[in-house]
Amino acid sequence: MTRNPADPVQIALSNLCFAVEGKQILRGITHDISAKRTGIVGRNGSGKSTLARLISGLVPPTSGTALVNSHDLSQDRKQALIDVGILFQNPDQQIIFPTVREEISFGLRQLGHPKARAEEMTQATLVAFGKSHWIDAHVHSLSQGQKHLVCLMAIVAMAPKLIILDEPFTGLDIPTKAQLTRALAQYHGSLLHITHDPADLAGYDQVIWLEAGQVAQTGDAPAVLNAYVDAMTAIGGTDDIADITS
Amino acid sequence: MISLTSPVKTRAHRWPAGVKLAGLCAATVGLFFIESLAVHAGILCVIAAVYASAGPLFFKTGLRQLRLIWVFIAIVALWHIWTGDVATGGTVILRLISALALANLVTMTTRLTDMIDVVRVLTAPLKRLGLNPAALEMAIALVIRLTPVLAQKGGNLTQAWRARSPRRPKWQILLPFTVLALDDADHVAEALRARGGFTPMKED
Repeated sequence: MTRNPADPVQIALSNLCFAVEGKQILRGITHDISAKRTGIVGRNGSGKSTLARLISGLVPPTSGTALVNSHDLSQDRKQALIDVGILFQNPDQQIIFPTVREEISFGLRQLGHPKARAEEMTQATLVAFGKSHWIDAHVHSLSQGQKHLVCLMAIVAMAPKLIILDEPFTGLDIPTKAQLTRALAQYHGSLLHITHDPADLAGYDQVIWLEAGQVAQTGDAPAVLNAYVDAMTAIGGTDDIADITS
Repeated sequence: MISLTSPVKTRAHRWPAGVKLAGLCAATVGLFFIESLAVHAGILCVIAAVYASAGPLFFKTGLRQLRLIWVFIAIVALWHIWTGDVATGGTVILRLISALALANLVTMTTRLTDMIDVVRVLTAPLKRLGLNPAALEMAIALVIRLTPVLAQKGGNLTQAWRARSPRRPKWQILLPFTVLALDDADHVAEALRARGGFTPMKED
């Protein structure tokens, strides 16, 4: 099958289930995603992050399948590097190397690029982001927002067809968030953005609303987000924080 | 904080890492064959001059690394004062400082990737014994990257304790700290897996 690289990634979820020690996190999700900008919203514990890990192939499903461009990425990790990049919430849990140069070139080396080529691509990525002076910066000396940008650049350098964002903006100030959003908006590939904040999804095409491990609603972003905000505001008026489920 | 490559560029930054490490090895061995206190003092002066030639910032950073060994210096000094063999004590201390300063000089002027390349060459024969050189390389990078992160986490735990207790925490935060570190390890492992784990797609 040949695809135009500008086409959105095709994600096919079929009766996707995931359980940890008998506790059901995802309960039979069947849904196709084929938009360039897709958001996943839901409350804490609704299974958003788990879904991100299943789609990116970091963990295999308990049952059912999650295919990206017809590839099962939990089985085919080499393909996974080409198809999907994932941006986690905490950059300190994502950045492996002590300097910006090493962090960005690591993924490129993993893709099989020779050292000199990886170095060129690292510099080109930094130039594209207007951050060429960061190349020898120590990760430890960067601010939290700057670390987030390093994570993003390290993934963009690998040019995956899909970038999954697992609540990467939590705890960032408004300007930093705006700057990262702008950098993301320019990405030529597809984005799958997990968040509980509807404001993060301005301009997105499709939204999936997860509730207790199931799809509550899907469709065009504005309609789903409106319904989501109404429901969340209504729940906010209650005291369901008191509920303890085993 | 762990000493890393200095952002102050020196000529030594461009020298091959292997040559620098071999030179360091030879110099350190050489230090053990010199018994004269005066010669050791001279060597240390030369090393200090080398540091100073790269500018005051580089010199200060280098000096700060020596704080790591002041306890050892104190112990050695006390012992030799106790035994009355002050000259030997002086030699040992100067030798220790020179060796650390030289090693630090190599660290400050060598990029981690270049250092790891040398490790790869050196550990290549161990492949036959089943050692995965990629895992070893990654371990080196991770220790350097995550030590300051863990130190900060430990600091946060201490603060969380002190916010609700008039006493300083002692052993009590060891277990939660361990759990935190293990949790971090899980996350980093996941991030590593997301970018291909230990096995690059092909060797160049």
